Amino acid sequence: MKKILFALGLAAVMTVPGYAQAREVTFSTQLSNYGGDGAYLALYLTDADGKYHETLWISGEKSKYYKHLRDWARGSGLNQAEYDGLTGASVTSGRTQNVTLELDDVMIDAGYQVRVDSAVEDMRDNRSDVVVPLTTEGSGKSIAGRGYVQSFVYNLK
Amino acid sequence: MNIKPLVITFSLLLMSGSALADDDCDDPIAGWQPRESLRQKLEAEGWKVFRIKVDDGCYEVKGRDPNGHRVEAEYSPATFELREMEREDDDHDDDRHGKSRNDNASTNEDPVSPRGIVKGRPTVTVE
Repeated sequence: MKKILFALGLAAVMTVPGYAQAREVTFSTQLSNYGGDGAYLALYLTDADGKYHETLWISGEKSKYYKHLRDWARGSGLNQAEYDGLTGASVTSGRTQNVTLELDDVMIDAGYQVRVDSAVEDMRDNRSDVVVPLTTEGSGKSIAGRGYVQSFVYNLK
Repeated sequence: MNIKPLVITFSLLLMSGSALADDDCDDPIAGWQPRESLRQKLEAEGWKVFRIKVDDGCYEVKGRDPNGHRVEAEYSPATFELREMEREDDDHDDDRHGKSRNDNASTNEDPVSPRGIVKGRPTVTVE
């Protein structure tokens, strides 16, 4: 009986912090009416110096165009393991994409930055269209992008 | 233990994987037909061709197919063999391989994040 209680206790101790450490975040990227084909976007995290850390989402399904998401491509090395299972459709001009995920708490208020690279066929590529620190204070504050992104905001729950 | 069959099987698997992953055309340039010929062929079939450009060794055509759908198609430059066709209208990105968009999709599969900072698969919607 004691063994069972011990096992249950151990399981609880191991499980509870696992949930406590993850936080739901929604990243909303609104595109301007640039009038071209669907935009390829890379949503990813870097450290404070802009060094690539992790891919959050890639919009656009043809991997041969990923090289146009230039900073992300350089940081990730276009290594498929970095984006496998994290890709979806490109985003049409004027639309808003919402990416919601459970992010490890240690990434917030720890000097990491959220970045968006963007590219559209036959139009220019925008490295670091959006650069914003990932902080509790920055949650809900909309910022303007430099390229096809009209506005970007993340919300921490 | 005789590992030869295993090695052969594994090698074949690897080779077939890389062959499938390659969507480039590799026709020798000497054998390429003019893109104007492709335009004429397609227009004779009822296409409205907007543009033909070279992409990864293929002719990439944007236009409307005989059914009026806006499409992007890739053809081998030497044989004009169709390599890939993708519909671009109605916000559908389906192509012959049956890929689908993730708009309004909600999935929760196993964690996919390489460093484990993202739990589960993100939910993505487009408004």
